[in-house]
Formats: sequence, C-alpha cells, structure tokens
Amino acid sequence: MTTNKTETENIKQSSGWQEFWSKEDWWAVWLGLGIVILAYIFYLSGSSISWIAVAPAKWSTLSELGGQFSKNGIRYVALLGAFLVLFSVVVSFIGQKPRSFILSFIFLFILSTIIYFAGNWDQSSRYNLEPPLVALVIGLIISNVIGLPRWLDAGFRVEFYIKLGIVLLGATLPFTLIIWAGPVAILQASIVSLVTFFVIFFTARKLGLDQRLAAVLGAGGAVCGVSASIAVAGAVRAKKEHPPIAISLVVFWAIIFIFALPLISRTLHLPTGVAGAWIGTSEFADAAGLAAAQSYGGFAGAHLGISGTADQALASYTLIKVIGRDIWIGIWSFVLALVAVTVWERSETNSKVQVGQIWWRFPKFVIGFLIASVLTTLIVHGHTLADYNKLVKPSLIAPITSLRTWAFTFSFLSIGLTTRFRDLANAGIKPFIAFTVGVIVNVILGYILSVIVFGHYWSSIVTH
Amino acid sequence: MKIFNSIQLNNSRTGSICQNCAHFQNDPALIEEAYHGLTAMSSGFASVRDKDGFCNYNQLYLSARDSCASFAPRASEFDKEEAG
Repeated sequence: MTTNKTETENIKQSSGWQEFWSKEDWWAVWLGLGIVILAYIFYLSGSSISWIAVAPAKWSTLSELGGQFSKNGIRYVALLGAFLVLFSVVVSFIGQKPRSFILSFIFLFILSTIIYFAGNWDQSSRYNLEPPLVALVIGLIISNVIGLPRWLDAGFRVEFYIKLGIVLLGATLPFTLIIWAGPVAILQASIVSLVTFFVIFFTARKLGLDQRLAAVLGAGGAVCGVSASIAVAGAVRAKKEHPPIAISLVVFWAIIFIFALPLISRTLHLPTGVAGAWIGTSEFADAAGLAAAQSYGGFAGAHLGISGTADQALASYTLIKVIGRDIWIGIWSFVLALVAVTVWERSETNSKVQVGQIWWRFPKFVIGFLIASVLTTLIVHGHTLADYNKLVKPSLIAPITSLRTWAFTFSFLSIGLTTRFRDLANAGIKPFIAFTVGVIVNVILGYILSVIVFGHYWSSIVTH
Repeated sequence: MKIFNSIQLNNSRTGSICQNCAHFQNDPALIEEAYHGLTAMSSGFASVRDKDGFCNYNQLYLSARDSCASFAPRASEFDKEEAG
C-alpha cells in the first residue's frame, strides 16, 4: 500500500451538518422559504414585497416601453442588488469566488431583463417569442457562435436558479393539489420511468455495453436526466468516462425536446395541463422541462385554440417531474448499487451498500417546495375567493410569482450559455442507439398516459 | 441471503474509505470542470451527487463512502497514523 502526503487538495470533507450550507439544494430551500416568509410578514403588516419584485407590464409601443423603464428603473436596480447580495452569499458558502459570480450575474440579469420585456410585448406570441425559448436560443447562440470566457460560467448556475424557482412555485400551488394529484403523478411517472430504464438498459446490454454504463444511461433517460446519471454513476461505481457519455446524450435530447414537445402539443391542441404532464413525463432535466412547460403555458388562450391556463402547464409538469420522478433518485441509486454489488462483477471495491444514500441523494429542494406550498395554503385558508383575488393574490402571490419567473429566466438563459456543443463528449454510436430507443419509447408511452389514460385528469387540475 | 449481507443499515463509516484516500478527489468545482455539460442541466453542488468523486487509482467515479484494497491515506490520515 502506498501513502501520499501531498495529495490533499480537491477533497471536500463535510459532516452531515455542513450539507445545509454546502449544497445548492439547501440554499434554494433557505432562500425560497425566506422570500415566502418575508412576503407574508409584509402582507400581514398591510404592505407587500411587490416594489422590489418588479416585473414588466404588457407593452405595445416603444414609448410605452421607455415609460416603464423611466418609471421603474430604480426598482430593477434594487432587484439586481438584492439578488447579488443573496446569491453572493450562496456562492461564498458553497466555495466559489463571488467576484467572478458578480460580474457574470450582472450580465445574466441584463440579458434576462431584455428577454422578460420582450416576452411582454403584446405581439410576442404572434412571433412565437416565448421567453423560455428566446432565452435558450440567445444563450445557445452566445455560447456556441460568439463565445464567452470560461470564468463567466460562475454566474450561470442552471440548477440553483431552477431549484429556487421550484421552491417559489410551491408557494403558488395549493397543497391540496399536491395531495390530490400526487398519487396519479407517481403512478404515471413510475410506469414510464421503469419501462424507459429497462428499454435503455437492455438495449445497451444487447449492444455489448458495460452494465454500469447501461445503468447510468438508463437512469438519465428514466429519472431526472443528468442529475440521475451522475447520482447512479456514483452509486454503481461507474468508470470515469461513463458520466460524460450520458451527459452528452441527455443534453442533446433535452435541448431538442424543449422545442419539440411544445411544438407537437400545440399542433395537437393539447390542453395546457395535459401537455405539462406529457412534458413532465418525457423531458429529462428539470430546467429543460420547465422551459418547455412554461413556453406551452404561454400558448394558452382562445386565439390559438389551446384550453387551460399557464399555471396548469407548470403545475402538472412539476407534479409529474418533481413528485413523480425526482424524489425517487435515492431509491434508484440504492437499488442499482445493490445490484452492482450482488449481481455485477465487483473486482475493484469491497464496500457494502449503505441505506443512507436514499436520503443523502434525495433532492432536498423538494422539501422547500412542499413546505412553501403548505405555508401559503395555510395563509390562504379562511379567505373567500373574492378576498383572495382582491388582497392575497396581488400582495402576496403575484410578487412571489414574479420572483419565480426571474429565477426561471436566469435558469433558461444559463442552459443556453453553458451548453457548448463542441465540448460535449462523443457518446459513440452504441450508447446513442440505446438511449434513443429509450427516448422514443418514453415519448410514446408518456403521450399515451398523459393524453389518453389520464388526459381528463390533467386537463382539470385546479391551481388556485 | 447475499443481498441482505450486502446492505449496511448503520450509515457511519470511517477509516479506510475513499474520502480519506490520497487517490480520491471530489471537489464539486473539479467535477464540473472535468465533466463538460454537467452544469448545463445539473450541478456539482447538487444533493443527488452526495460526496461522490474520482478515484484516480481505479479510474472510477464513486462514493466517498466506498473503499477498496488500494486505500492510501491522505496527509492528514498519514499524520494521524505516524503520530499514533
């Protein structure tokens, strides 16, 4: 056995408690719930956080646009300052350099503001300028055609922004909806996840790929994209080169589906709740799926013949993706680790499988999502619908929704800005075939369950 | 049954585990740098990644709680052994 006194760098030793301030998931919980509680305190005192939670109003002429800027410019600066302070604290705690982050985030905020305003142009839907898709396309063009220095990536934290947005989304969803629709979401997602995983896994094995690579690919297609692949890779002790293969394939298909799923849903005139469920079942990563679901929600309205509301698309998507798929990643990791130990060849290691990883790998931001939902449900409880619409919605729910939209926009833009196609690993033809077969099965099965089997259910979900 | 013997209910595991091994690296920033595209739809700082990292001896991506026969104590562990 060799000993080495010099290799002490690049090791992150952390106790259980340190997880609370070293992981983005927990910071999304702290910030998200902090914002909800602050909003409630202001609401109780007869005020609102709406001054700082500024959002563009609909505009039709350039003079109206200029008027909004001159009237509310200081509020946008204040919002930028608030985000900078909060997010700089987060990046400091998780071990990044705030200086790089600050410059990068200012760039991100300015671009997001332009996209947010563009989405509120009254002709934007006519030209398909859905903000999530615009953000993604602009990000992709900047990163792949123009190019940005690497240090700017410090502010493009896709996962952190999307998790913060999902916690804030929880504050706008009634907990009764989660209780009512949760079991169906879990049933639908479980069917598709299991079928997709086994299709990818056995296709990969048939093509002669390593079991661990097959498992990493299968989890990426079946559970929650890149996050699932990286979690299962660690659980089954994958080879170093396995995760990049899965990352490339997930990113490739997820980007295609951000555009394809809303487009197909629009062609088929699916109700927003149904399309959201389908996207939640068949998209891979949380951020990618939310971009697609939010885009489709923007199509709601009689002018395009699409029934339902924008909130229904987000709600059904989130229920399927977060409650139906994401929260099971710990179980998937545990079971696959057990299979790796007991069935697959194990020559390199001699460890047992720890039950604790079910919790260690649990996406903790879901806790914030659920608590936020419970909090606002309790706050809203006892108000009449008239009171809700007159008092609670404008003073409490609307500003939280505005901050949620900012967080999502940061995330969608960051997807584009961090996706550099030339940097992605060459997946190879066999992994590509295995994953693509799973993708096709996933999309068809997801459509059947979302539209035909549970369509009536998802089209009627109540989000207020 | 073999399957039950392979499960560890007690989650405390110390000593000769990857987290204390010289061959192991799990800095989230390092993982993000090594795996291009990871930050596009996930994160090195996500809970799902737990404390996983690279084993530069076996060329694996694995849990910090794992272990193997090629364990080599890092400096801090080495110092403890020498002091002991």
